[in-house]
Amino acid sequence: MSSLLDIMRISSSGLDAQSNRLRHTAENIANQDTPGYRRKRIGFEEVVQGGERTGMVRTGPVELDPSALVRVYDPGHPLADAEGYYDGSNVDLVVEIADAREAQRSYEANLRVFDQARQMSQSLLDLLRR
Amino acid sequence: MDLNSLLASQSYGSAGSAAAKTGAGSNASSGATRAVQDFTETLAETEAVATAALSGQANPEALVQALAETQLAVEAAVTVRDRVVEAYQEILRMPV
Repeated sequence: MSSLLDIMRISSSGLDAQSNRLRHTAENIANQDTPGYRRKRIGFEEVVQGGERTGMVRTGPVELDPSALVRVYDPGHPLADAEGYYDGSNVDLVVEIADAREAQRSYEANLRVFDQARQMSQSLLDLLRR
Repeated sequence: MDLNSLLASQSYGSAGSAAAKTGAGSNASSGATRAVQDFTETLAETEAVATAALSGQANPEALVQALAETQLAVEAAVTVRDRVVEAYQEILRMPV
């Protein structure tokens, strides 16, 4: 029974991590047109409690994408330099959409495992009830 | 006949002391106590998580997980209670 509860705890941490990832994707997409905005990236890491590996996952610290900002030509823009260019953001919409879809699929996978563990413990109790 | 009734009264007496020992705190009763403690802890934890989630301090995933855990704990407790009551009724129905 406790391993089934562990499964639910681990899946729940996966759900939390994936929704956190989607949150950062949403920030990137929302700031796609913000001048000078650098794309945020987050990694995943295993949760270690008291020197013991728990198998749960959490999102790591936020990193900024160091790739070059897009140079946008718009002489009328207040931020434009002498040549008429200003720094846009380095968000690539295609990458963000792919990342969002991947987060959704991982979320669904974690949800499936959660539901399966719940059903397994439910059928265990049903066996006891008979 | 006399011998039989003597044996019966003796075994009844020893059964009573055995039951008293069990009540005093054998493995079975401490296990049950621990289970009840775990059960109440799970309930209290879920209540805290539910309050936090509704006031926006905890994420909904944690709420779902805590609720599923509590549901299983309550169902396990109810199943065990049903079994115990059933066994007790079985004893009551025993022809004396």
